[in-house]
Amino acid sequence: MRGTWPAVAFFAAAALGPIVVRDAFLLDGLILILLWGASAAAWNVAGGYAGQLSLGHAAFFGLGAYSAALLGTRWGVSPWIGLLVGAGLATAFGFILGFLSNRLRGPYFGLATIAFSQVLLIVASRWRGFTSGSEGIPVPFRPGLWTLGMADKRVWVYLVLLLAALLYLVQLYLERSRRGYQLAAVREDEDAALSLGVPARRLKVAAIAVSAALTAVCGTLWAQYVGFVDPFYVFSVDLSVRFCLAAILGGIGTPLGPFLGAALITILETSLRARFGGIGAGLVGIYLIIYGVVLIVTMRFAPQGLLSWFGEHLRRRPLLGTAP
Amino acid sequence: MHVIPQLLASTILLGGVYALIAVGLTLIFGVMRVVNFAHGEFLMLGMYLAFWAFTLLGLDPYVTLVLGLPLIFGGGWLSYRLVMRPVIHASHNVQVFTTVGLSIALQALALVLWSADSQFVRTSYYAVVVRFGGMALNLAQIAAFVVAVLFTAALFAFMRWSYTGKVMRATAQDRHAASLMGIDTGRVFALTWAVGITCVGAAGVLLAPIYPVYPSVGLQFVLIAYVAVVLGGLGDMVGALIASLVVAFVEVVGSYVIGTAWKEVLYLLLFIAILVIRPAGLFGQRGAEVIGT
Repeated sequence: MRGTWPAVAFFAAAALGPIVVRDAFLLDGLILILLWGASAAAWNVAGGYAGQLSLGHAAFFGLGAYSAALLGTRWGVSPWIGLLVGAGLATAFGFILGFLSNRLRGPYFGLATIAFSQVLLIVASRWRGFTSGSEGIPVPFRPGLWTLGMADKRVWVYLVLLLAALLYLVQLYLERSRRGYQLAAVREDEDAALSLGVPARRLKVAAIAVSAALTAVCGTLWAQYVGFVDPFYVFSVDLSVRFCLAAILGGIGTPLGPFLGAALITILETSLRARFGGIGAGLVGIYLIIYGVVLIVTMRFAPQGLLSWFGEHLRRRPLLGTAP
Repeated sequence: MHVIPQLLASTILLGGVYALIAVGLTLIFGVMRVVNFAHGEFLMLGMYLAFWAFTLLGLDPYVTLVLGLPLIFGGGWLSYRLVMRPVIHASHNVQVFTTVGLSIALQALALVLWSADSQFVRTSYYAVVVRFGGMALNLAQIAAFVVAVLFTAALFAFMRWSYTGKVMRATAQDRHAASLMGIDTGRVFALTWAVGITCVGAAGVLLAPIYPVYPSVGLQFVLIAYVAVVLGGLGDMVGALIASLVVAFVEVVGSYVIGTAWKEVLYLLLFIAILVIRPAGLFGQRGAEVIGT
């Protein structure tokens, strides 16, 4: 599982999707898989490669979603500009969080990130005059690529595929470059890395800031695609956990893992929703129970994620004729 | 003006209940070195226990508290056996995400069982107000405070004087030395977890007559407990007690000065400020958070 061919196959399959399939439901699923995969990959830059396990990345996602939605509805600014503004804000907040990460390790950092996303949730849901408070913001549909109003889902597939591919490349860079090796050294043993002259603190802060900006980009596109921003969703702890869960399930600190995890989760979620959605809203909780149990079981049996779990179990089986 | 005594009384009443939540959290961290991200969900389950006992069996929450304690303890023990024991020697990150998974599963379970609507335990005395020296205090809040203080005092006495409590403290200080001395640390962890859960579950039952209950209710209380526990120094039970009062004071005065809508921002900012300025807590040793053990 070392090479990039599984990723090439994954992205090629996604690119072929809109050509083969016309069904809006399936295309919607594909868009969500790629978007959640990209969000999880953005989390992975901080959580997997830098080892800074954030439980508040929804803060950045929400910043991206709100920046574009507010600029668009209040001043008619293009969501592309909103995307840049959101990414800029997220970078600034990412630096703050990065500064915190230099002082806090392990569970303390996780707690700080939760508090951070909760502050933004309260501001977004209570500042009625500016953010419309808890009612949320509907994103108006204005046709055209410049306003991100595409009725054709196939255009959306290629747009988020581009984003997903970008995130894969960012992770591949962290996997193979000198910076990436240094970051891995910091993650495994910060003091040892420092003594070897690795600029540990700067690398960590940079990784968190980049991760924040990319998460905000995902948030912008998500909000423009779905067409509605709800503060209690985009800033929720549940959403933060969703990013971690996808990355951990697929394989934390691997470039393809987040996408694999996101695909599994999204397929599970949409199929369970389709099955139980009609009967009663309460049964929607069932997929969340499965979510939680999947996370516990993954931590128990495959804490390195499914990719490496499969890798290990496949490798252990001797190839025909080579085993002694 | 009776504002100041009223604010102080509210602070103490609120702080007492927060302390019971925070003490369980800090106990689990101190002995097991696990931050329990599912702590709030056990509070929520305690509240729903009181709700069910009240609507289905017509039991008063205070009766439920006495009858339900073994049930909560047993539930805590079970959750340790099923979920925590397999990862007790795993890395921090694995433990964090295991408790996060437990939190999601329990919240979703409540969503399925009781729906997302707010439920109320409307006791006949829920609106009774006690007037005392110019202060007006809710009876249920006074009762919750008294029971929470008794509970916390019992836990402190247990930790201080009982043999089991000493064994737990020994394990907290040095788990390897403790196991070399013949202490069965596995059983200590199970007991610690169950006791911590019992504290927070009991707090949930006590809060049921005061606050509405819904599946994600745990988060708002557990955030307060996180603030208190970090402020007091993770694992420091006395610190958590004092810090709970500090947090309650910030909340009560904040609600009075700037209104209830923004009070959460105050203690969350307080939290971030503590983490930046003095992450080891008010009484903790400097540097403890960096070692992260």
